[in-house]
Amino acid sequence: MKKMSTKLGLVLLVSLFAVKSLWAQVTVLGWPGGPEETALRKAVEVYNAGPGKSNGSVNLIFFNRDGFWDKLQADLAAGTTEFDINLTATYAVGRYAPYMQPLSLPSAAMDVFGDKVLKTMQFEGEQYGVPTDLSLHFMYYRNDLIDKLLSDAGWKKIYGEISQKYLGKTLAPKNPDTWNWEDYAATALFFTKSVNSASPTRYGTVLQMKNLLFNMMIWHSTARSHGGEWLDANGNVMVDSWAVRQGLQLYKTLYDAGASPKDSTSYEYAEANAAFGSGQAATMLQWNAAFGSLNNPEENPAVAGKIGTVAPPAGPAGRVTHIHGLGLGLNKNSKNKDASIKFLNWLSGAAAMETYALGGGSPAMAKSITDKISGDRPDLIKLGDFAGSYGFVMNGGTSASALQIYTLQAEQFTGYWSGTKSLDEALQATSKGMADLLK
Amino acid sequence: MQVSSKEKFWLTAPITFFLLVMLGFPLLLDLIYSVSEVTFENLLAPRLQGFENYFETLQDPTYWDALAFSLKFGLTASLVQLFLALFLAIYLEPLLARHPWLMAVLMAPMMVAPALIGLMYRLILHEFVGVIPYYLWEWVGDSPAFLGTENAFLTLVTIEILQWTPFALLILYTAYRSIPSHLREAARMDGANSLQLLMLVELPYMMPVILLTFFIRFIDSFRVFDNIYVLVGSGAGGTSTSLSIYIYKAFFRGGNIGQAVAASVLLFLAALLLIALLERFSRRMETT
Repeated sequence: MKKMSTKLGLVLLVSLFAVKSLWAQVTVLGWPGGPEETALRKAVEVYNAGPGKSNGSVNLIFFNRDGFWDKLQADLAAGTTEFDINLTATYAVGRYAPYMQPLSLPSAAMDVFGDKVLKTMQFEGEQYGVPTDLSLHFMYYRNDLIDKLLSDAGWKKIYGEISQKYLGKTLAPKNPDTWNWEDYAATALFFTKSVNSASPTRYGTVLQMKNLLFNMMIWHSTARSHGGEWLDANGNVMVDSWAVRQGLQLYKTLYDAGASPKDSTSYEYAEANAAFGSGQAATMLQWNAAFGSLNNPEENPAVAGKIGTVAPPAGPAGRVTHIHGLGLGLNKNSKNKDASIKFLNWLSGAAAMETYALGGGSPAMAKSITDKISGDRPDLIKLGDFAGSYGFVMNGGTSASALQIYTLQAEQFTGYWSGTKSLDEALQATSKGMADLLK
Repeated sequence: MQVSSKEKFWLTAPITFFLLVMLGFPLLLDLIYSVSEVTFENLLAPRLQGFENYFETLQDPTYWDALAFSLKFGLTASLVQLFLALFLAIYLEPLLARHPWLMAVLMAPMMVAPALIGLMYRLILHEFVGVIPYYLWEWVGDSPAFLGTENAFLTLVTIEILQWTPFALLILYTAYRSIPSHLREAARMDGANSLQLLMLVELPYMMPVILLTFFIRFIDSFRVFDNIYVLVGSGAGGTSTSLSIYIYKAFFRGGNIGQAVAASVLLFLAALLLIALLERFSRRMETT
């Protein structure tokens, strides 16, 4: 009897594993801990309840966000088969391309995303992922303060005096949607207590100047709007240029004048949000994803309901914003490629992306699709508009060395901002380092 | 009872096997990688190229900057911890002898993972949400940029000291308590005052432990990574790049696996040399 029970137990256990392996065919490694995770969970839930029943269901796994890309690099290099589909990003697509399999997405994907957005997941002409989320930058500002600045004669006079003293020309306040970088700088200086003792805020802006690659992406808009670029058409490094110098000097001028918090050289996303959310900063160049939290009265009562967002200010070469996508692509060593491709194809469709967006994700989709869900996600309209009108990726920004280049720039440029390096030293070291990386 | 050589072999076999697998194999692999051209693409088939990685590492100015940072950080943090812990061990001895449970409270900081300590101070020192800047603004109308470039080193060292002084205190307090009472009584009989007792009897008696504590704390602070990386990364312009951060960045961010491993082998050799010196010193102290 005892033998019989043991055998029965074993059979049940084996059956359980067999059923589980049939049921859970595709494993997806997603971006953890944010709206992307919530959105992906929602999309997978819908898939598993529908097409997943016949195509093979999908399981989700998540690493910790800290060091995510490094862990992914190590896993992919080791030839892991623990996940079939993994996260990729515009700035890392070249780095992970050797370990991933290019995709041939259904033609409908072009109607959903458009060429510009699909390209954020391309490397050397091949599509490596479905672009699930798009990130770009907004100029956040306190609309209560800007409204007063635009209407108060006393403030206007002081604004003109401050701009003359610090920028060498008398400027008049403007609507943020028409700002160039000088207008932004003048506004930031005006709302800085140490510059203007009547300022209602301690600082005029919040700059993210920590030695961190993501901070370079935010700063790039200043250089690009002056005509800056990483590489020329022949692939030669061209960072030591007037345009890049203008962008770097803008940050340095504002930081040295005290317009950004004193420890901005240790600021990244969270620190900057905390500074702006405290109500002690008038403007901030920040990722679009911050809006929801900043405008939430429970999280940020000091500023919620008083925030305006526009695209970053214009430069001589126009108005731009860095864009990059997060997406999901196929692990070259996957043992479930057919089922994985079916899921990715489904994910690139309009219905899946609607689900994903309603779940909290930020896909950049065609206007016809975004309009359908604009009641629930009005921010996606601005995201799509800005991406289409102002979005850029630096030439070389999807190369295999892109992450190293961002890291190199962060090290050198933060050295200049903090005063440990001269502008010439920082740019020469960056040019040499980039040339070595791109050999 | 005599233990045969066969029994000795079998008794030590598990730990020998464990060390071979967990330490020997990675070390061998590191040595191979350090003399190879290796990237993430050819991890399983590195190409031997001699000592180029070592030459490149030694010619890299950022390696020397990182080494200088680690030495400065390690020496400053360990020396302050040592003197502070020594002072506390002697000053608090009567109190701790009466209430031994207080030692458990004092040990609390070192129970927390360094990365969490980093996160905690990132919050505490933030100008707009941190408790310290808040009160400084309230009381004096200003607050320094604790994590700004000019203050980052001091802040990082202070955090290291606050977290790890309890470890030094534990060792030094135990050593202080273990001084035989007859030595003190004899010194008193000879007319020694408190300062003389401390300088001529107690400290010399504790000296081997004091030095051991210093070396342990120095090695630990020298290879600092977690809390610095969480707080300021490698610092503006790389000003807070410790040797461990240098290795991490070279490996993952730069993809220079050979160079990163060569730097870690050099660090390993330096640590080995330090331990050998410590061992030699300890033996000399034992014989004198």
